[in-house]
Amino acid sequence: MSKEEKKPFSQTMAEWRQFVYNPRSGEFLGRTAKSWGLILLFYLVFYGFLAALFTFTMWVMLQTLSGDIPKYRDRISSPGLMISPKPDTALEFYFNKSDSKSYTEYVSTLKQFLKSYDDSKQSKNIACTAGKLFEQNEDRAVKQACQFNRTKLGSCSGVEDDTFGYAKGTPCVLVKMNRIIGLKPEGEPHIQCSPREEGKVQITYFPDGGMIDLMYFPYYGKKLHADYLQPLVAVQLAINSSSTKEDVTIECKIMGSPNLKNEDDRDKFLGRISFKVQMSE
Amino acid sequence: MGKKRSDIYSVEIHGTQDLEKTDKEDEEEKYKNLKGNKKKSKKTDDLKKELDLDDHKLSKEELEEKYTTSISKGLTSARAAEILARDGPNALTPPKSTPEIIKFLKQMVGGFSILLWVGALLCWIAFGIQIAQGVASAFDNLYLGVVLALVVILTGIFAYYQEAKSTNIMASFSKMIPQQALVIRDGEKKEVPAEQLVVGDMVEIKGGDRIPADIRLIFAQGCKVDNSSLTGESEPQSRSCDFTHENPLETKNIAFYSTTCLEGTATGMVISTGDHTIIGRIASLASGVGNEKTPIAIEIEHFVHIVAGVAVSIGVLFFIIAVSMKYKVLDSIIFLIGIIVANVPEGLLATVTVSLSLTAKRMAKKNCLVKNLEAVETLGSTSIICSDKTGTLTQNRMTVAHLWFDDQIYSADTSEEQTTQSFDQSSQSWAALSKIVTLCNRAEFKPGQENVPIMKRVVVGDASETALLKFAEVILGDVMGIRKRNRKLAEIPFNSTNKFQLSIHETEDPNDKRFLLVMKGAPERILERCSTIMINGEEQPLDRERAEAFQTAYMELGGLGERVLGFCHLYLPEDEFPDTYPFDTDSMNFPTSNLCFVGLLSMIDPPRSTVPDAVSKCRSAGIKVIMVTGDHPITAKAIAKSVGIISATSETVEDIAKRLNIPVEQVNKQDARAAVINGMELKDMTTEQLDEILINHSEIVFARTSPQQKLIIVEGCQRQDAVVAVTGDGVNDSPALKKADIGIAMGIAGSDAAKNAADMILLDDNFASIVTGVEEGRLIFDNLKKTIAYTLTKNIAELCPFLIYIIASIPLPIGTITILFIDLGTDIIPSVALAYEKAESDIMNRRPRHKKKDRLVNEQLAVYSYLQIGILQSVGAFLAYFTVYAEQGWLPNTLLGLRVNWEDDYYNDIEDSYGQEWTRYQRTYLQWSGYTAFFVSITIQQVADLIIRKTRRNSLFQQGLLRNKVIWLGIFSQIAIALILCYGLGSVTALNFTPLRVQYWFVAMPYAILIWVYDEIRKLFIRQYPGSWWDKNMYY
Repeated sequence: MSKEEKKPFSQTMAEWRQFVYNPRSGEFLGRTAKSWGLILLFYLVFYGFLAALFTFTMWVMLQTLSGDIPKYRDRISSPGLMISPKPDTALEFYFNKSDSKSYTEYVSTLKQFLKSYDDSKQSKNIACTAGKLFEQNEDRAVKQACQFNRTKLGSCSGVEDDTFGYAKGTPCVLVKMNRIIGLKPEGEPHIQCSPREEGKVQITYFPDGGMIDLMYFPYYGKKLHADYLQPLVAVQLAINSSSTKEDVTIECKIMGSPNLKNEDDRDKFLGRISFKVQMSE
Repeated sequence: MGKKRSDIYSVEIHGTQDLEKTDKEDEEEKYKNLKGNKKKSKKTDDLKKELDLDDHKLSKEELEEKYTTSISKGLTSARAAEILARDGPNALTPPKSTPEIIKFLKQMVGGFSILLWVGALLCWIAFGIQIAQGVASAFDNLYLGVVLALVVILTGIFAYYQEAKSTNIMASFSKMIPQQALVIRDGEKKEVPAEQLVVGDMVEIKGGDRIPADIRLIFAQGCKVDNSSLTGESEPQSRSCDFTHENPLETKNIAFYSTTCLEGTATGMVISTGDHTIIGRIASLASGVGNEKTPIAIEIEHFVHIVAGVAVSIGVLFFIIAVSMKYKVLDSIIFLIGIIVANVPEGLLATVTVSLSLTAKRMAKKNCLVKNLEAVETLGSTSIICSDKTGTLTQNRMTVAHLWFDDQIYSADTSEEQTTQSFDQSSQSWAALSKIVTLCNRAEFKPGQENVPIMKRVVVGDASETALLKFAEVILGDVMGIRKRNRKLAEIPFNSTNKFQLSIHETEDPNDKRFLLVMKGAPERILERCSTIMINGEEQPLDRERAEAFQTAYMELGGLGERVLGFCHLYLPEDEFPDTYPFDTDSMNFPTSNLCFVGLLSMIDPPRSTVPDAVSKCRSAGIKVIMVTGDHPITAKAIAKSVGIISATSETVEDIAKRLNIPVEQVNKQDARAAVINGMELKDMTTEQLDEILINHSEIVFARTSPQQKLIIVEGCQRQDAVVAVTGDGVNDSPALKKADIGIAMGIAGSDAAKNAADMILLDDNFASIVTGVEEGRLIFDNLKKTIAYTLTKNIAELCPFLIYIIASIPLPIGTITILFIDLGTDIIPSVALAYEKAESDIMNRRPRHKKKDRLVNEQLAVYSYLQIGILQSVGAFLAYFTVYAEQGWLPNTLLGLRVNWEDDYYNDIEDSYGQEWTRYQRTYLQWSGYTAFFVSITIQQVADLIIRKTRRNSLFQQGLLRNKVIWLGIFSQIAIALILCYGLGSVTALNFTPLRVQYWFVAMPYAILIWVYDEIRKLFIRQYPGSWWDKNMYY
């Protein structure tokens, strides 16, 4: 085999030009117009068919699903905890109680979030028996929702104090449990929060004891249970004056229910949550 | 280039390996000058000129003085040790080898490795940035980087190990029993290893020895040497202590290192050792011949370029897209890593190496020992084979081919395993002839071989006598017994002046007291001495008519290229030669004329019985077979005709001239398909004339060629863009062996130098083995195509998820680690299994591939794999992905655009399509289920892909699903590995696999079936409409 000679650059360029458009054979990028036409037509048909097939198989797959509840719920057997407001960055609250700008976003988020809990919105909801699961008949096309009044959140309801305590240095954080269709908590579930370092902060729960009432369960899904309101627990933090300007880490857990996990190794939000608060004056 | 083939056995997949280019540049320079000369014969002249050797002219005394030695006492041991320390051992320096570390590093940076290193580096950069930003998942990138580096290092180690392994095979092969030399030192004879010989040593040699160094003969008795490995002369050369020629190569008083002493004894003084010997110089000359990249290396380089090109351009394109879609640069870099990993078939190069070594093993079983793995395929693309005659095409032993007695020519069986001879043996003339053949013969079987087949017995005696002895033994049996019963009384051995051999015997008939004189020799000489001729057992006068009949037969047998011997006898009259008659061979007191002519026997080194078949196979495979031999043109042509290198109907220019009775010059050269070129003619030819011959004639025989001319022939063939295979055994063949695309050394007859220079060693020296090798080489080329097509397909299915992920912002369908598990896990065994696939049609019925047009990876292969089957696979896998998510509550429309929130570590209440809220970890776990489903779907569809890749043209039903059992092993392993990953290791979080619901294994099944059906349709159209648009675009 003869050694391949290094071609001069001009020749390489000429070959490229020849490849891009060959005036002699009328070839453009190695194919004639007709050839390009055919190949494009082929791929049009091929991909057209494929797209149709994909759409069809997807449609068939979606037909097997119910619109009300997902086919499987095994990936979310136990709910996570989450707080509102959720700071933009990590779960860290930084604010200055004398500077309203520093917490307006938290406040507006809370207001927005609690709007659906306004009494005016709850006319359709019924008052359920406290302390008991509210299981509804299968046949009901539209499931009823239990009332959860903002007043239950006490001084964190935003009714009396529309800064949710931020201006006073006693910020409110709402803790909520993730919605899971069909979840029936056992025992007496309640939220329990504690600062990582003792004594930096006093915590007040609304409703009392951070109780989550069983009557809000089970959840029947977005479609059947459109008016559903998930129960909330407000946590009001009274940070000791000595601990201002310090990071205060609060850890909240769901307690009192044997079927709600709160100590998963990998999932730091399964039945628990921790967030930081730093308040300055 | 100093790159020694013998050192580089592994597949050079990487193309970029000319690191060693410089180390012997000078050598090459020198060599280029040599071969650049127009006068080809100059090459040998230069070699000869280089020898400023005058030892052959010196007298014994001058020699003693020059080397401060004594002819009678030799050197003293102390002096010898001194010289040994000065000159080094008497051995050829092995070719300079590349340091192991360089070889290892080369494996680390070649091919895709660079791309993966870039990927790993990007990973670490991303890790560095993320760790600085405090991102929780930063360590994923660190691990991925480590994994990528490990992949590169492990595949590098694998390739290195493969290389080292074949090096070891070769090392053990070339290891020889240390040679001993009989040397006179301190006035005593002693045996020392030949390596310790030094200049000035006196050595004794005898028949059968290999000459241990270049030796100036001081004393010689009937000494003959075989210089064929050095000069190509196949006739034994006699050696004496006389200065006969100015040229040291021609003079009779020098014997050369590595040649063999055939008979006689001699004593001589060592005048040069090791690399300073003539052989040493030639060996270093041979190492100067550049090695070209093998065709498969070029193909693989081409393929790496394609894949790397696709990877880099898609990577860069999507990097730009990602950045302009306002993704963070860091994220874009991470996408880039994913795209690179998805695009690079990490396991493929290792697979190719394994496939090639599997074929190499298979070839070794068929007697082709491949030194350089890549040569496996080179053999398959061979378009011209330049073959030696002796030993390769022929059996390398003289055999009786024809007999002439009773005015009739009989053919004898010349096959390897003859046990009987079927010609008419009833005539009295045959009885007489057989008696002469038996008695007038000095050759003898070595004792103790009664159970060995006659043809395989070892004989003491020259080639012709051996042939006659075996011939007689086959027909008559117990030749030695016959000789004993017909006691020999006197004998004149053959010599070149008499040109006959004669012996006188008693007869075994006790009633017949006459002596029998038997004689054999050159037919014309024998005939001169005869006055009668035996016809049907009757003595008849040898008249003109009979003499003419003899001439015709003699000419005819001679024309067949056979060596003809005449036989005659005479019963000595009892009265003149009584019992006690004192026969004296010196005074010749017995008649040597007026004998009775009995017959002729002709001998030839017959072709191996498998060769004609192999040659015709070559012909149908479009491979031109050129015979290159040192033999006489007539013999060469006869053998060429009998094996089919010159087919029965072809004529040479000379044949046409003879038939038409016109001068040779007037013959239209285009009419002659065949050509027999004499070495003398070749010497005077210009390059253009040689090219013309090579182009115009399809059947060529080069006769009387020296090994040096072989190189010229090889170069000529390579100018025609042919892939040339060359066989050789002598040291002088080594430049040609190196120059050839594939040099084939003879395993039995080959010299070490030839074996070193060659790419392949033919263990049985049989031409037919080359052809089976070609078949294997072609098969592996086809199968590598299949392997690559198979491997490339799933790269699209791995790539698409990333592209869709970037563009549609859905949760990532498949992770980089998972991709590596496909590339280096499930796919490896199946892709090797394709190497076991049988040929689709008779691969020996098509032309050799054109090395510039028939690429390993062509446009059709890439397009069909990437844009058709690959896309089909992606669609199938996406169906599984969407199914998993939808059944868990995430409908496709919810997924679109979800990516940013989905990947937010602090967003722990994302709502699915049914109103449920998911934490980050719950989502991640679902994402891994998605990975697993995507992985399983690709695996399932790769099973279909594997099955369709069994054939490129035939229907699977034609090929048979069960013929290649290894494929099933591959499918089984593929599914087993997937099952283990999914269910066994599903709990190991770092691997990102989760146990999957059984039904998800079947989601992509319809697409797998579609792949198979579509490919059957593709193949059907290709078969139905050859040459059509479909055929051109769809056949890879």
